[in-house]
Parts: sequence; C-alpha cells; structure tokens
Amino acid sequence: MIEFKNVGLVYPNGTEGLKNVNVKIEDGEFVVIVGLSGAGKSTFIRSINRLVTPTSGELLVDEENILTHKGKNLRALRTKVGMIFQNYNLVRRSNVLKNVLAGRLGHVGTFRSILNLYPKEDVALAYDNLKRVNIADKLYNRADELSGGQQQRVSIARVLTQQPKYILADEPVASLDPPTSHQVMTYLRKINKTDKITTIVNLHFIDMAMEYADRIIGMRAGEVVFDGPVSEVTDATFEEIYGRTIREDDLRGGADQ
Amino acid sequence: MDKNVLPPKPKKSAFKKIKIIIITLAVIGIYVWTFLGIDINWARAIERVVNNFGNIVPKLFSPDWSAAGEVGEMILETIFIAFAGTLMASILAVPLGFLAAKNVTNNYIGTLGKWLLSANRSFPELILAILFIVAVGPNAFAGVLAIAIHSTGMLGKLYAEVIESIDMDIVEAMEASGANKVQILFFGVIPQVIPEFLSYAIYRFEIDIRASSVLGIVGAGGIGTMIIFASMNRNWNEMGLILLAIIVVVTIIDMISSRIRRKLV
Repeated sequence: MIEFKNVGLVYPNGTEGLKNVNVKIEDGEFVVIVGLSGAGKSTFIRSINRLVTPTSGELLVDEENILTHKGKNLRALRTKVGMIFQNYNLVRRSNVLKNVLAGRLGHVGTFRSILNLYPKEDVALAYDNLKRVNIADKLYNRADELSGGQQQRVSIARVLTQQPKYILADEPVASLDPPTSHQVMTYLRKINKTDKITTIVNLHFIDMAMEYADRIIGMRAGEVVFDGPVSEVTDATFEEIYGRTIREDDLRGGADQ
Repeated sequence: MDKNVLPPKPKKSAFKKIKIIIITLAVIGIYVWTFLGIDINWARAIERVVNNFGNIVPKLFSPDWSAAGEVGEMILETIFIAFAGTLMASILAVPLGFLAAKNVTNNYIGTLGKWLLSANRSFPELILAILFIVAVGPNAFAGVLAIAIHSTGMLGKLYAEVIESIDMDIVEAMEASGANKVQILFFGVIPQVIPEFLSYAIYRFEIDIRASSVLGIVGAGGIGTMIIFASMNRNWNEMGLILLAIIVVVTIIDMISSRIRRKLV
C-alpha cells in the first residue's frame, strides 16, 4: 500500500511540484495519472521511489515513511519498486539479456554481479520474462538494434525480473506509435492482473487512460484535482483536469488494432 | 515583393566600429614591428639554402639501403616504445578520468582532477625523457615512461569528457532498480564508455609513434638516436632512409588506426 499524507514538494528553483497531495493506493490496483505536462505527474511517480524527494508531509510505502530513507534502506525500497521510463533507458551497447539481468542488481551481491555470476534461477527468470513479453528471440541482440516498441518490452522484462511489488511507469508510451502503445499498455495491464503487481502509470492520452485504468487520478499544477474509479469519469472530468476543452491530440487513437 | 526582403541588419554603433579599426591597426603594427626586428641577411640566407639544397636534397632522395637492417631494428624499437607507453597511459588514465569526471565525483574534485591532468600534460615528452634518462639511464625504458606520463594527461582528460557525456538516464534507471554505486559503474557507465576509451587510446598511439621517433635525439631510445648521429656525420643518404622509414610507418599506422576507430564508435 502506498499512502501520500499531505505531501508537498518545492524544487530548489521555487517551482511547486506537488501541493498537499493526499492519495492512498491499495495493493493490486492499476492507477493511471493524467494531466498536462508540467502538472506534477512525473514528480508524483518519482517521489514513490525517491528519484525526487518531497519536502513536506509523509509518504508511506508498506506502512514505512520513505522520505527519510538513505543508502541501504533506499536501495531496498527501490528493489521493491520497479520503474519503466519514456525513453526505455536500456544500455544501448549491451545485449538484451544483460539489460534484463540488470533488473537483478538490487538482489545480487556487488561482487557476483560484476563478474557476471548471476545465479542460474536469475538467468532463467530473465529468459522467462522475455518470453512473456514475446521478445525472447532477441536475447543476444544489442539493445540499439531493436525498435522502440521492442526496447520498451525489454524494459518491461527488466522490471519483471526485478520481481517488484510495485511498478511505476513514467509516460511509457509517449515515444511510441498508436498500435505499439496499445501493445505495451496491454502487457502492463496483463502483468498487473496476473502477478498482482500494483501499477501506477503516467499518461496524457485520455482514451488510453480510460481503456486501461481501474482508477484515474487527475493532476493540475501539482494538485490532485480528481481521484476516482474509471466508471465515474466523463469528458467533463477531463475538461476539468486539463482546464480546457478536450482536443484531438489528447487522444492516442488506434484502439481497434 | 516587399515581404521577401530581409529586414535591415542592426547598425553597428560608432564605438564598435572604432574598436574594430583599432584592433586591426594594432595587429598590423605588431607584425610590421616583428618582421623589422628580425636581423637577417636575406641574400646570404637564400644563397646558403640554394647551395645546401643542391648538396643535401639529392642525397636524401637516394637512401643508403645498406643501413636498412639497423633502421628496421630501430623503427621497431620506436613502435615498441610508443606501444608500451600508450598501453601504460591508457590504463593509468582510467582511474584519473573517473576522478576528473564531474558526474562521477563532484564539481570540486572534478575540476581539481582536470587541473592535475592539464598540469601533467604541460610537460613536453622531450623534457620528461631527459628527466627519466637521469632516473633510469639512457635507454628505451626512459622513452616509454616519458610517453606514458605525457599521454596519461591527455587521455585522462579525454576519458573524463567521455564519462561526462554519457546517458545519465541509464544511470537513473539503474538507481531506480536498487543497484548500488559499484554496480551502476560496471553495468551503466563502463559499457557506454569502453568503445570511446579504446578509440582515444588508439588515436593516442598514432600520436605517440610520432613522438617516440624524436625521443632518441635526447638518448631515450628509438630511431631518433640514428637521426641525430646521421645529421652529425652529415650522412644524408642514411638520413634519407630513416625519414622514408618514419613516413612509411606513420602512414601505415595512421591508416590502420583510423580504420579500427571507425569500426569502434
């Protein structure tokens, strides 16, 4: 369970990233955060694994306030919370297997990992997860030989290999075309349902949020302006979150493919 | 029609114009003064050049092939000196490069590291060679050390720049997965920098071949020793062969090196 209690974040330049955020996310939920760019979606997500550090309030992950975590505690938290990025963030010159195994770094000792002595089960796990996202045939290809959609699938396999309790996805489909976007979202959704991994995704496409989320959190200017199940969301809700009428480019489209 | 005409350039202020004129005049003045200051007897200089050219140049172009064995041996030693020196430098420069990279250490240590590397680089090879001859005697090892120390400065700085230009998003992704600093170094940083490190080391080898061919002039081994003896004995035929050998070796190594480097990056 993740709980934001009066969380606020002010960046050193004075920008307020989060303002008095109160949100509770139960285990197993699939939550989509929507909002315009600059609304605080990334700050919200990155607070959970402390890539950014809120300046006020409390943030509880499994009943522990993580805002004071340092060093070993912080690494333990991050091992539990996996992350997927907009630009995949794979090591382009390393092969797919090595990239996926990087997900084990938090579990494997420093010495073993440096010498590439991963336990057999870890390698098997990495391979299984590549099969789950249907890209096992690229095992020994270098990451930069893959297309964007394939790279994002590899990064999903990496996060699965980490065996996290939570997955954070920061605009995972913003660099992909519509059919590939749906493919990636479908994988995330499937993983959420079968593995019961709590998943929090940032999106700015309204139609995708509606299609995949259980629950939608709307943000504007660092504040949570909407929080509720998909069934309660209407076009008017989005107009309120975005503070303007809905436009063509707020939709990804291509849902039928 | 009017729409296609560019708006007029902003006018330069009178002050700027005057500044440009003053700078131009000052530069011309310095050149004139410098050339007037050279005490040279042009007629005599030209006469000597013409005489010596007639004397020396034809000999340079008819190399003395009987010295081929010795030249070959010495050019091989030159290559070995450059190789050993570059190898030492390319390894020594790795920790120094990481130390001087601001995104690995921090601003202060990084700047200090770069400063040390620059200071190190500012000694010319020949000066270092003279110092090392005092320390280890007049042999090829002095040359190796001179090359190694001088190259470490340049390679360290280039390595640091490579490390500073890596994709930090990958580092962030690894941090986010709970990896520690050492793991991030080995999995996120090193795979990104290795090809460029190699490329710079090979490029430096190219430079060091040229540098090591003159080290012998101060007695630190290699073909330079032969150059200095040939010129003292006015043995221009042998000099011709030496120069030919250097040109051939440098050209071949430049070609190989640029081909390898193109493949690497």
